[in-house]
Order: sequence, then C-alpha cells, then structure tokens
Amino acid sequence: MPKVVKIPLLLLGSLAALFVVTFTVYFLNLDMKLLSKIEPFFLKHYDKMPRKNYV
Amino acid sequence: MTIHNDRTRIGDQNLGVLFNEGKVRRRREWRGVKDTLYDYGRWLYIISILARFIVKPRNIKAMFRYRWMANYLAVPHMVDKFTMGLRDEPLRIVHTAMDFVVYDVAQTMENIFRGDRRTGNDEKFSARCVLTDENAMTAFMMGFPTLKAILREVPTMFVANLLNQYSTTHYLDVAQQAGIPGDVCPMPEAEAGISIEDDFAVLGACAVQVNTTCDGSLMGNGIIAKRLEREYGIPTFQLVAPMRHREADVQDYAAQDIKNAIAFIEEHTGAKWDWDAYFECAKRVNDITRNRLAWLEMNSTNYPQFVGAPFSLYNDTNYMGNCGRSPKFPPIDRKIMKYAQHGYEAKRMMAPEYRHRAIIWGVQPQYVIDMLNWMIHCWGIVPLTDMLSMVNTRQIAEVDTPENREQAYYDMAWLNENMIMRNRTHGGYKVLVDELWQFCEQMNADMVIMWEHMSCKALDGMHGQFEEQARERGIHLVWVCHDLCDPRVYTRQAIRDQLNTYMRTVMREEPLDPTIEFLPDEKAW
Ligand code: SF4
Repeated sequence: MPKVVKIPLLLLGSLAALFVVTFTVYFLNLDMKLLSKIEPFFLKHYDKMPRKNYV
Repeated sequence: MTIHNDRTRIGDQNLGVLFNEGKVRRRREWRGVKDTLYDYGRWLYIISILARFIVKPRNIKAMFRYRWMANYLAVPHMVDKFTMGLRDEPLRIVHTAMDFVVYDVAQTMENIFRGDRRTGNDEKFSARCVLTDENAMTAFMMGFPTLKAILREVPTMFVANLLNQYSTTHYLDVAQQAGIPGDVCPMPEAEAGISIEDDFAVLGACAVQVNTTCDGSLMGNGIIAKRLEREYGIPTFQLVAPMRHREADVQDYAAQDIKNAIAFIEEHTGAKWDWDAYFECAKRVNDITRNRLAWLEMNSTNYPQFVGAPFSLYNDTNYMGNCGRSPKFPPIDRKIMKYAQHGYEAKRMMAPEYRHRAIIWGVQPQYVIDMLNWMIHCWGIVPLTDMLSMVNTRQIAEVDTPENREQAYYDMAWLNENMIMRNRTHGGYKVLVDELWQFCEQMNADMVIMWEHMSCKALDGMHGQFEEQARERGIHLVWVCHDLCDPRVYTRQAIRDQLNTYMRTVMREEPLDPTIEFLPDEKAW
C-alpha cells in the first residue's frame, strides 16, 4: 500500500480506536469507578499525617 | 396549570436505571446519538482540565497535603448530577455554565497552590494576593487589576461539598472536638475545623474577612483570623456589612468601611487603586445584572430555560466571586443567552410535563443541591429561581466622573450588602418574607420550596410568618428541613422524602418518573 494511503488510514484507525476506548470509559463511567476506588487510600494517608491543631 | 411537552425524550426514559448503591453511578446516561456525543465531548473537556491541573508538581504535592483535595476526584460525577435527564438547549446551557465554573475553580486552585507556602511557595506571587472571604462580594478588588483576590474557602469548603456529600464531616468533628457546639451552622463550623486542623493553604499579603451578619460566620471568622494573624503573620481586615442593609442611614457607614478596606489593601500590598480598572469592571457588573434579569424574565414564562442549581451556582461565581473583574465571563454569558433564546423560541422543556412552578427559598442543602434537577424529572416541579440568585438589580455608576468616584464607594458597599445569602437571611422580614410573595407574583409561581436550614437561626425565626402568609395567599409552601452541609443529620433521601410526602399526601399526585422517587445514594459522592 502506498504511503499516501497508509498514513491517513493509520491515523484514522488510531483515532477510531481512541474514540472507542474513551467512549467506553465515558459511557460505562469507568473513570469515576476507578477514582472512587482510589479515594480511601488518600483518606488513610491524610489520617496518618501529623497535625498541628490549634484554636 | 400543567404544560405538556410535545417532544418525547430521546434515550433513557427512567432515570433510576443510572443508580445503584455505590459511590458513583452505574453508567452514564443515553441521550440519543447527538446529545450523548455532545455530553461525551464535554466530558473530554472536563477530563482535560483535570489532567492539565494534576500534571503540575505543586498540585500533586497539594493533593497529598490537603484532605479536601480528595473531593476533586469527583468532578465529572458532579457535572453528571446537574445534567441528569437533560437534552437539547437545557443540556447545553448547564454544560456551558457548569463547565466554566469548573474551569474557574481550577484557576483559583492553581493560584492558591502557586502562592501557598507549603506547595508552590512563589513568594512574589503571594505578595500580590489578597485572601478574600467567600462571604464577600469581591467589589473592593475591582480597582486592583495587579492583585489577585483569593477566595480560599470556595474550593476548600463550598465546592468540595458539591462534589462529595461527606466532604465536611471530618472538619465538623475537628471543630466539635475543640469545643464548638454542634448546632452552629456547618458552613462556618467546617471552615473553622479546616483552620483548626491547619488544612487551609497559606498565602497572601493580607486578608479581608466579611461578617455574614450571623453568629456562625462571626465565630468561624474569629478562629480563622486568629491563626492567620498570630501564626502566619497575615494581617486581616474586618469589613462589616450592616444588618439592616436597606436602611438609608447605614449607607454612609458601609461606604466608609469600603474606603477603609481599600486603604488597608493599599497599605499591605503597596498597590494603588485604579479608577480606570474599577469602571471597566463596573460595566461588566451591570452587564451581568442585565443578563440575570433577562434569564429571570424568561423563567417567568411557560418555558424557563436556565434554572436550578446551575443557575444559582453560575450566578454565585459570576456575581460574587468575579464581580466584573474577569473579561472571560461576558462571552460565557452571551453563549448561555443564545442557547436560552433558542430554547425559549423552540419551547424546550426539561420534563414530559410541568405541573408546578416553584420559587426556591432559604439556604440550600449544599450536599443535595442537584435536588432541584431531580424535582423537575420526578415531580414536574420547575424551580424558577432561588433565594441566592435574587441579589442586586440596580445598575451601578460606570462612567468615570468626580461624582461617580464618590458614588462608587456606595455602589461597592451596596453590592457587598447584597451578597448572596446575606441580603435575604439578614435585613428583616421585608427582604426575607415580603419580597418572596412579590417574586411569586412576578414569576407566576404556585409553590414555594422552603429550605429550612436547621442551624440558620435568622431563617428559622420567621417560620410562623411564612406559614401564615402562604396560607393567606393560597401558595403551596413545602418545608424541606436540612443541615446545609452535614448529611449525617438529614440524609439526601430524608430531604427528598419531605417533598415526596407533600406531593403524595397534600397534592395527591403521582411522580412523573417513579424510578427516582427513592434513590439509593446515601453512600454516593
Ligand atoms: S446559612 Fe445562615 S447561619 Fe449559615 S452562614 Fe448563612 S446566614 Fe449564617
């Protein structure tokens, strides 16, 4: 296949793949599902931090 | 009178399908090809804002230093709450407004961490920052174009609670462990807790605090100011808004206090007040006022377009936090206006039918503020406007003349007195009770959803007057009790149930979408 055809085809293919992946993440709410799993680790970290409480 | 929608909603019909008992939704909504792709595009934009924010090392550092930062994991989830069930122009209006609010908050956080002594520590930048109370109109910063007004509490407390209903509970516990009683308004109490635990970013040449003319706010500001001044050496000015802000005899005093605040900022930052910048901002303030009035006029008709929490939150950001200082808001206003006009002409509706037209009064439960959108889809009740959006309607002086320079102090004082919340919760029964009935008449409302924030004494004291006068006028008054930003007292469902019970028992109506009458969102963000 000549380069002039191959490069645009590759470009289109990768754009389509990117769309499929990101749209799946979007529609199935995978971004929020993942981040909600991360939150407890942050909370544990904050609980362990030394604090300088002062009124 | 019920208004029916001639268009059938494309895509998901029953919105309950989106919910399970988890922290986040089961999936995103199917809105038909065109609107789903639009929503997907906006999601990509939000993700890009978050990505650009988190790649900066100082912001990563902040993520590990400040507990409240964890709430920002939920930004896309918050936007989904506001767009639930929407299609066409209303979907585009909410995205335009709320995506810009997200962008604006991200900018504020960028500035905060750039100057913060513990993360970015850019001392030169910090010396140009003025910490500004979130309960302040930023009017007194309109003539300081070289300085940055930093509203620390906005991302730390106010927005955090929109993102995650449990964002304040840790700080409320901290404040109560320090001896502050549990019946104080949880907004200032949580802010006091943040300060006690040293979880506010520290920056700025000086700070300006404003009383909300309520006990809770004065308590919270006292604790915060003490730490700012004694531990961090940041001098703090107390700008005092008068209680009876509609009375003529308090205006001289209020204007003088604005002059004092400006002199204080000049003294501590070395910056000089710039009248050209002030009048430039004043023009934008007037433009904001005209646009808000136009949207309210549209909401007085059968086809309201810009409503609910996004209307309120966008106005809060634009009117109070921005106060004409940023040229980035007017194009957003124009874009919203274009969508609203199209939507109005095309008679776009958000639900299959509108059964009631409601004014939302009182201070909102921050952790379920999207309930206004739920109300449209579940019961066909359209929120025409809310108390926090009913602020200044006057045009202020915008031409630079010697007389207008004197008038400007009165205008800034007037804006400060008419800050969201304060202008209604304080100032007597005229601003809180009498004017509500005027708005009901102007906007053709048959219902008032009365947020009864149990820790706001100013509002609770008027309970009887509201009851009596609504009965006289034949207006349905639905009391919805809550504790502002503490979901442990009233859960989200306990709040919705108060409306559900009223609609079923008093109105004898059935929900439009029964799948969302009860939502399993007690554990949700
Ligand atoms: S809700 Fe009421 S008590 Fe709380 S800060 Fe506002 S005016 Fe004060």
